[in-house]
Amino acid sequence: MHRSFEIIGKVMTVAAGIGYALLALGPSLSLFVSVISRKPFLILTLLSSTLVWLVSLIVLSGLWRPFLPLKANVWWPYTLLVLSSVCFQEALRFLFWKLYMRLEDVLDSFADRISRPRLFLTDKLQIALAGGLGHGVAHAVFFCLSLLTPAFAIIALAFVTIHTFSMVIAFEGYAKGNKVDQVIVPVIHLSAGMLTLVNFASEGCVIGVPLLYLVASLTLLHCGKMVWQRLIESRNQSGPTLR
Amino acid sequence: MDRTQRPRSVLDSLGEELIGILTPVSICMFTVVLLVCLLNSDPSSSASFSSIATAAYSETDSDSPWDKLLGAFLNSLVFVAAITVATFLLVLLFYLRCVRFLKLYMGFSAFVVLANLGGEISVLLIDRFRLPVDSVTFSILLFNFSVVGVLAVFMSRFSILITQGYLVVIGVLVAYFFTMLPEWTTWVLLVALALYDLAAVLLPVGPLRLLVEMAISRDEDIPALVYEARPVIRDDSRLVQRRVWRDRRSSQNDDDLENNEVVNVVVRAEEEEQRSEISVPLIERSRPESSETFLEGIGLGSSGAIKLGLGDFIFYSVLVGRAAMYDLMTVYACYLAIIAGLGVTLMLLSVYQKALPALPVSIMLGVVFYFLARLFLEVFVVQCSSNLVMF
Repeated sequence: MHRSFEIIGKVMTVAAGIGYALLALGPSLSLFVSVISRKPFLILTLLSSTLVWLVSLIVLSGLWRPFLPLKANVWWPYTLLVLSSVCFQEALRFLFWKLYMRLEDVLDSFADRISRPRLFLTDKLQIALAGGLGHGVAHAVFFCLSLLTPAFAIIALAFVTIHTFSMVIAFEGYAKGNKVDQVIVPVIHLSAGMLTLVNFASEGCVIGVPLLYLVASLTLLHCGKMVWQRLIESRNQSGPTLR
Repeated sequence: MDRTQRPRSVLDSLGEELIGILTPVSICMFTVVLLVCLLNSDPSSSASFSSIATAAYSETDSDSPWDKLLGAFLNSLVFVAAITVATFLLVLLFYLRCVRFLKLYMGFSAFVVLANLGGEISVLLIDRFRLPVDSVTFSILLFNFSVVGVLAVFMSRFSILITQGYLVVIGVLVAYFFTMLPEWTTWVLLVALALYDLAAVLLPVGPLRLLVEMAISRDEDIPALVYEARPVIRDDSRLVQRRVWRDRRSSQNDDDLENNEVVNVVVRAEEEEQRSEISVPLIERSRPESSETFLEGIGLGSSGAIKLGLGDFIFYSVLVGRAAMYDLMTVYACYLAIIAGLGVTLMLLSVYQKALPALPVSIMLGVVFYFLARLFLEVFVVQCSSNLVMF
């Protein structure tokens, strides 16, 4: 009798664990299956961007190791932590974009060599999306998956959204030299990081988490608007010539 | 713009071969992690695993770190020495053209792995989940499973999907048992094997290099347990056909009429308990320039398949399985490190176009990332997330 209760308890925990994991990673899983798994190159992009995020996290933890563990219930060192981490990751994002530009050149010259069309706009957007998804999945796995609780899962979902779509905005911003897009991505990242600091106050997460979701939906809207504009632009450009 | 009329972009199928080899490696690692998490959650039932790898020293919890390190070194030395002897024996047998004997022995060892190790793990799983299975049914199922596995691995003209599945299963079984080695021994052993692989393949006196040269000069396949990614044949009409039957080349067959293939083969023999499995680190078949290859520019022939030796599967999974015994974060870090190492090795392969050891880069990166994650990352992330601070 005792054994069966134990087994039921274990099963329920497993189900709950899977539930929380899907809460954080469900949308990214559906994105993965529908968009990314169809093109092998996007899977490789996802893996490499996950690796980049992991390396950045390791470097940051190496830098901050002498100062840890921080005193409990003191919140201002965390401000410094978030600030430094966001700055470092944004710098890395720019380097990632530079690497991507070089890759784009290689792919374009390869396409020319085998007489296939160059990269379409949707291809570039998909690569950016895969890169962002890689960052988001890495964030969710490291910050959420080892300590599976509902709070982590919900916050991780917001961050996954933010990371995924801000990468698309960032790539387009850097490519077109659009200052608004270039600035808005670090601002979003920083504000999201700072918003989690609100969780320090007691009952702070009641304010913090909805605001975080507000930021995430803003990212989504901005990205959607930008992509829509680009697609319409490119269709107008190439529309008459395709017939 | 009509979607169906748009010409296929270059992005649609680039990197397919790489994914073809990354998927089984990932599946193998994932299964080993799953088994470790399922079967090791009960600390009271720890079976001590004695093999050649623990012959010199068996670790106990009460020893000092220096003793453990020394013991681990001794163990790895014994193991690597055993493997070297076995590989040289393999070279000798291959030189004396006892290929048939080698094939029979490999079939025997595959059967023993599937029946013995597979049976043990199944019994552990049945015990854990309280599955109602009687012993007669179990033995019949196990016997059938093993026999089909042996046939799959050694018959040509066998469905390639089943062959690949069985190879991954063999890798999972052996890797799970290797994760039961004591901790320090595992890490030192992995590093020692990576160094051995490097030496055996690249040094002119290394046994694997001798084997490769002999195989090339005789234009023969080495009998080995090798995972071969499904080769993709493309033609002009953009139809992609996947080869369904595995084509085995032997010395009696003539070459493919379409192309001449150069097979560079590296073999490594491993000894664990009384079995020996021959596994091949990395092979590349390169096609001549005149054939129609879609991915010629990138350097991996599109109709040539990438081959990865089963030993590499096993030791990658051992590393990840051992990381799983600590925390999920280390698992993820080691997984990414191994995949990155594999990517680097494949890039080097396309540059150097000769047999390369697949273990060193991945294992070194994996070990480095494991210790970095364990020492630095965990404290940092736990500190942040326990206060719900994330970025």
